[in-house]
Amino acid sequence: MLIAAHLQKIDRLLQTRSRLDPSADFELWFWAGMNAGTHAFNAALHHARLTRERGAFAMQPGVYLVPRADGALVAELDEPGDVLHVGRPVIEAVLPPDIQRIADAMERMEHHRDPCIREGRPATPAIVAACAEALDECLHLLQHRLAEDRHACA
Amino acid sequence: MHAHEHRAVAERIERSMRKCREAHDHELLIEAAMLAGSHWLNARLHEDGVSSAGDDVMHTYLLTVNQHRRLSVSQPEAMQALGAIEDMRPAFVRGDAPGGPEAARRAIGLLSKIRPTHQ
Repeated sequence: MLIAAHLQKIDRLLQTRSRLDPSADFELWFWAGMNAGTHAFNAALHHARLTRERGAFAMQPGVYLVPRADGALVAELDEPGDVLHVGRPVIEAVLPPDIQRIADAMERMEHHRDPCIREGRPATPAIVAACAEALDECLHLLQHRLAEDRHACA
Repeated sequence: MHAHEHRAVAERIERSMRKCREAHDHELLIEAAMLAGSHWLNARLHEDGVSSAGDDVMHTYLLTVNQHRRLSVSQPEAMQALGAIEDMRPAFVRGDAPGGPEAARRAIGLLSKIRPTHQ
């Protein structure tokens, strides 16, 4: 997607997440944060021109749904645009340090995904805090990257 | 996870879904329908003895063709419904195609086909 669309998604997901209790609603609270963080990673990758910024939606690595003028969505093979998760697909380039930190933070967060969402492990306060901190780091790093652009243009 | 544990998580997720609104939260409602649906499906498969705890379906599209065929014989409507919810994710969860709230409504309807009727 376009960077602006990723930013809108982040805003929407954070609004939804704010209505959820991190403990009682952990599954959806976590999922909203994971999706928001993935949008941040994608926006940063597009900004660094490491992946293609395009109005197309990731189906699986290398396959994208592309909107046509008549409103239809058509699946196409394409070079990397949006990733589904960090590592899906692997970006064949050295990441700038700030984007590597976003990737690392997302991996710390997603480390808890299957155990706590799919395998029944309770989400402890420490896990909640770790996930919240990881997302905060992703969003802070993205904001900093985008703000540097605005300073450069000023 | 055992069937009763899948049911408990699915019920938790469905309680959380009630805090979301189709008009504003369609991404998370579709994701929630997918997550709750996969837990309901696993509960049904475990209860029927078709799969065992530790042999859970995560996504229907990650199954082998043979696995998909076998589980679809056991739970045809639930498998089809979960697949339909999963297919919404590229356009409306990861993407911003028009019609997200309507897609969320459809996902919630499909979830009701996966949830066991005695719940």
